[in-house]
Amino acid sequence: MGPLSRETWAQRLGAFRASPSAFMAGPEGEDLGRDLLSELRSEKLSEQTKVSLLALSLEYPAQLWPDATAAEAAATSLLDTLVLLPPRPSALRRPLLLAATTALVAGDALGPTSEASRRLLPLLLGLASGRDLGRGFGPASEQRPLQATACECLRELESCKPGLLGGCLGLLRGLLGQEGPVQPLSLLLALALRNTLVIRARARAGLQGLLMAGDTPSGGDPWNWALAEEGDARLQPQAPSWPAAEEECGLAVLEPTPEEARELRAAVAQLLDTSYLLTPVAQAQLLWLLGWALRGLRGQTPVLFKPQLVRLLGTAQLTLLHAVLALKAAFGEALFTAQDEALLLRRLTVAAQHPALPLPAHLFHLHCLLSFPENWPLGPTAEEAAPLLLGPRLCRGLLPSLLHDPMALLARLHLLCLLCVEDEEKEEKGQDWSPRHYLEELLAGLRQRAALDGGPRASATLCFQASHLVVQCLATQPTVLTPLTHGLARLYRARPVLAPHFADLLDRVGPELGEPLRVALRQEVVSGPGRDEALRWHLQILAEVADGNAQSATLGFLGAAAAHCTDWGLQQALLRVCRALLRAGVGGGLADLLQALARQWEDPDGRDHARLYYVLLAHLAGPKLGVALGPSPAAPALASSLVAENQGFAAVLMVQEAPAPVRLSVGPHRAAGPGPVLQLHVEVLEPAYSLELRFRGEGQVYAPLGAVHVPCLCPGRPCRPLLLPLQPRRPAPTRLDVRALYTTPTGLTCHAHLPPLPVNFADLFLPFPPAPEGDKLGFFEELWDSCLPKGAESRLWCPLGPQGLEALVSRHLEPFVVVAQPPTSYHVAIRLPPDSRLLLRLEAAQEDGVPVALRTDDWAVLPLAGDYLRGLSAAV
Amino acid sequence: MRFFFNAYKNKFLKEVMVVFRRFFSLYLGISEEKFRYVWVGFSTSLWRQRYPTVEKRAKVFNGASYVPIPEDGPFLKALLFELRLLDDDEDFIESRDSCSHINKTSVYGLLIGGGELWPVVAFLKNNMIYACVPLVEQTLSPHPPLISISGISQGFELLFGVQDFLSLSQKNDTELNTKLNQLPDLLLQACPFGTLLDANLQNSLDSINFASVTHSQKQPAWKVGTYKGKPQVSISITEKVKSMQYDKQDIADTWQVVGTVTCKCDLEGIMPNVTISLSLPTNGSPLQDILVHPCVTSLDSAILTSSSIDAMDDSAFSGPYKFPLTPPLESFNLCYYTSQVPVPPILGFYQMKEEEIQVKITVNLKLHESVKNNFEFCEAHIPFYNRGPITHVDYKVSFGQLEVFREKSSLVWIIGQKFPKSMEINLSGTVTFGAKSHEKQSFDEICIGGTAYLKLHFRILDYTLTGCYADQHSVQVFASGKPKISTHRKLISSDYYIWNSKAPAPVTYGSLLL
Repeated sequence: MGPLSRETWAQRLGAFRASPSAFMAGPEGEDLGRDLLSELRSEKLSEQTKVSLLALSLEYPAQLWPDATAAEAAATSLLDTLVLLPPRPSALRRPLLLAATTALVAGDALGPTSEASRRLLPLLLGLASGRDLGRGFGPASEQRPLQATACECLRELESCKPGLLGGCLGLLRGLLGQEGPVQPLSLLLALALRNTLVIRARARAGLQGLLMAGDTPSGGDPWNWALAEEGDARLQPQAPSWPAAEEECGLAVLEPTPEEARELRAAVAQLLDTSYLLTPVAQAQLLWLLGWALRGLRGQTPVLFKPQLVRLLGTAQLTLLHAVLALKAAFGEALFTAQDEALLLRRLTVAAQHPALPLPAHLFHLHCLLSFPENWPLGPTAEEAAPLLLGPRLCRGLLPSLLHDPMALLARLHLLCLLCVEDEEKEEKGQDWSPRHYLEELLAGLRQRAALDGGPRASATLCFQASHLVVQCLATQPTVLTPLTHGLARLYRARPVLAPHFADLLDRVGPELGEPLRVALRQEVVSGPGRDEALRWHLQILAEVADGNAQSATLGFLGAAAAHCTDWGLQQALLRVCRALLRAGVGGGLADLLQALARQWEDPDGRDHARLYYVLLAHLAGPKLGVALGPSPAAPALASSLVAENQGFAAVLMVQEAPAPVRLSVGPHRAAGPGPVLQLHVEVLEPAYSLELRFRGEGQVYAPLGAVHVPCLCPGRPCRPLLLPLQPRRPAPTRLDVRALYTTPTGLTCHAHLPPLPVNFADLFLPFPPAPEGDKLGFFEELWDSCLPKGAESRLWCPLGPQGLEALVSRHLEPFVVVAQPPTSYHVAIRLPPDSRLLLRLEAAQEDGVPVALRTDDWAVLPLAGDYLRGLSAAV
Repeated sequence: MRFFFNAYKNKFLKEVMVVFRRFFSLYLGISEEKFRYVWVGFSTSLWRQRYPTVEKRAKVFNGASYVPIPEDGPFLKALLFELRLLDDDEDFIESRDSCSHINKTSVYGLLIGGGELWPVVAFLKNNMIYACVPLVEQTLSPHPPLISISGISQGFELLFGVQDFLSLSQKNDTELNTKLNQLPDLLLQACPFGTLLDANLQNSLDSINFASVTHSQKQPAWKVGTYKGKPQVSISITEKVKSMQYDKQDIADTWQVVGTVTCKCDLEGIMPNVTISLSLPTNGSPLQDILVHPCVTSLDSAILTSSSIDAMDDSAFSGPYKFPLTPPLESFNLCYYTSQVPVPPILGFYQMKEEEIQVKITVNLKLHESVKNNFEFCEAHIPFYNRGPITHVDYKVSFGQLEVFREKSSLVWIIGQKFPKSMEINLSGTVTFGAKSHEKQSFDEICIGGTAYLKLHFRILDYTLTGCYADQHSVQVFASGKPKISTHRKLISSDYYIWNSKAPAPVTYGSLLL
């Protein structure tokens, strides 16, 4: 794309900013990064436009140059542009340095092997040191701002690669002592110092004279990539904070030599002494960093900070007070005596209510007050609590009133609640002021406001938030909860439209308030006429609070209300109440009501629903009903309760498809009884109740099979084999399709498809009734002869395994042998249900097989028998 | 016995608490003040800034709880929803209206794409929303306590700074746009890589312009250049007095003075030392709750500890209040204070009775004899909330004149420059209202029924209620040349309410302490 005009660029940048993702997906997206870099060198564009291009690259480098290679190339190009600038004042140098740094960091290109990094770092350090870098780097007037910018870039690099500047500590100290710009150098040195200390401590290494290194870092390259590699471990998610444990990775393991300790102290003192030259926000950053650097370090007392404290405590600056609190938390009693602590608390109390400060500052100070890092706290520190030294007296100005903004009111209310807790603990009577009484009046005022017809929802929300906060803090105090309950019930009477807030409150408070409030609200609802315009809200509340108590009043109310539920929404609301009652186990009266609804309502949906509930009530036992109406396990997170309810029904009343809870296999053949019976072994995988196994033979070869029922199956508990009688319509093998229907322990009814079971030809074999003792051969011959002429005869060779004929017969044909002359001759008669026979003569066995003569009265059996016999030896 | 127990308990607790403290101190270890995103706007984004290198670290530090900064549109929508600025108040929305969704600070969590973007520091001021997202160097679930995140206070300072810059001498939209256009350059200067270097954006603007000035070694970062010209020091004390008056037996009236001392020191040299003293006359009311500007180099402990929390007695420190300082170039607020004067400047009562469509009102105001009876202006505003427009007024005033704003349903009693010799004035009358119009009128939650107030607006020049003053001799300047020193004083009313004594009125806790 050729050079673009200023207007085109403005348009393009506007489109990009409106939605970067949409722009990058569009036709111009791909070229933007490249165009931007080349346009920076165009002589047609004004500096101002170029600055806006660089500003874009500072915000969206990842979109412009999405990978490390592109980022590296971009940084190189930006550095080239910088070097090529003519030696007159230019507004581009600063943003170019920032952009090159940003591109390298954001594109993950920063590293010892990156050419652009190797160019940028010495350039930055050179600029930061105030060295003359030649005419490309602008006139003298620009040196100072560039020096500051270079420090800022180095600081960012050190943040991303902690330890990178570990080798430059001495150099930076030297610069700070000379005439470098105080603020950028101070912040850079403090950060590098902190990172070095932490990394050294983690590696259990000493400072190795890092602080004392002279002007030029020893060993050529000042970049401590090795230290930065160690520092990389720091860029991990931390919980709760870094470092993980003071003893292990803390600074306590660092044991600086006396000389190093002295140098460290000197460095910190140097930074603190000039800290008043920094802006307040930068001072705060410096204190956080140095507090960190020294915390837990042996041989370093935090007294160095003391001269700064009085000055800091006097200011109105949020950041400075916050930094003092950080020092307080880091050093505790070592830096703050009990008196200091009291003074700090007083200043914080003043700041939390000072009329000259804005509301957000008040609120933050109040938060700090309730999270105050006490020297000797009494409770767990994770919770907000009033510090010990913050007596009722100090709190007077911090108590809430109706005139406060909602957030201020809630924050102050929390403090008031904490005071009420203490007040209760002290059990001091006869005080001239009672926080509890004040609390009650305040809550009453909030309710009064929420009760106003037409008032904004925010005031109702505030009232319920306050109530919730009070219950959280004072759940154990009936003196607070009783009036609160009554007050809320009155609020409901005045403004039933707040029902969703009540339902929300009931869902979130414990039984201390929940129980009495449910009773009060139910009373409030059922004592009404049940036909006003608030019916919808009454029904919502009842669905929330209805239980087994006050049944007749509740049912009476519902009965009266039913006639007024003319639209679908109201009917559903009423049905929800019925559902709640069903779950609570309400019986008789409810059945009458549901029947009446099913007759009375015109809307078919409402009618059907009522009938469904009636059927459920009439047919399901208590526990199953509970499960049927309980929360749906299938879809717990649906927005609509109606849909969720239906999902619940669907889950419980419909059969769920599930993996099989058992594995079946066919056991050894039992040749006894009037018909063939399949013996099934069961392996239990999941617990199942009321298991019903249904079988269906393929191709209707058998008569329909009866189901097998098992009351209860548990994994690990032995299970007797199941017997499945077969009724073949003709003697043929088949496969059985198996399905299981069962109930899970959670009450769901499930259906599973099991792998098909094979029924083999041999599984159908039955013996003939025993032959008369003296004439077995005659009995056999009679059967043999009866097969012809309508049957068939065949001869075949049955191969024998190494065991020989005797073993084969005893293994497979034993029950059916009529005449036996072991080991060479056997006459076998097999009955095949329904009414076929198979007769075998196995005679004159040889070493590797036996000739078999067979006869049957059923043509169709012949191939099956042949296959069977030929397969016998293999089956052995 | 009790003593022994306590001694034992304390020793035991000390040992246990060492562990606790250590745990807590770990909590306070997050020490990089960085922002991921800064945003200013209202119904649309007017200006915003992203910091990708910080965002990259946030992704690593926050781990599984990381939620990326969305594009501007979704961010704005989520922010407006959370701040209750969307016009969909009709229905109960759980994520906003639930009783457990309690915000006690101006730090929010925004629901964005199924995740929660936290912490978002945000507030609304003069129809403008200011928001930023500081970096937190740890996982965000559960939320670490705000006190342990240094970026929170830095975030507030940044937003206060942007707000100050935008509202400073801003008169119209054009000026606002000019300032908004300056913001990107300014933030590049004041907040590179998301690190706030100076919350005083005007200072950063100056530093861009001052770039050619040669700097010497000890140049403070908060002073970008040096003054050249005639030395002069200007000090002005502005006191605001607020009051809640009830005229009731069981509720005490309250009043408080809040002072602001503003200075402008035009002095040559890099770091001129100045000491400014505030003095009180013998019967003056002590200054309390003093907060000073960071340029004050040291503070007397009496100044640090004098506080409205303590009961007043004669031993209270009553000055002179000395403030040694090194002034910045620009005008700055040297200090803020409060004070408890013995009587309110104007004491009054307001009685209002409702009679069907009319109300009968009686007002009495009395100026205290010690107060300078020379106002720049003095007015009593009497609003009638939640009623229709005024159709008719019958009234009698002993002094001044009454203006009727029919559509706004309010009366303004213009008292003028002076109270009469008796120092006491009255107004009585009957106000008749028309029907309330059906369109949704602004609804006042406090002034329901008989609950009503009148609000006094007045200003007195060259006067402070505490008596506090700074004179020429009270300023010491350690710099070349004798500066010209000018001082100004004024008293302004602010939130000066007189409540209808014939109906309930909202009270603060202080009013119950009789």
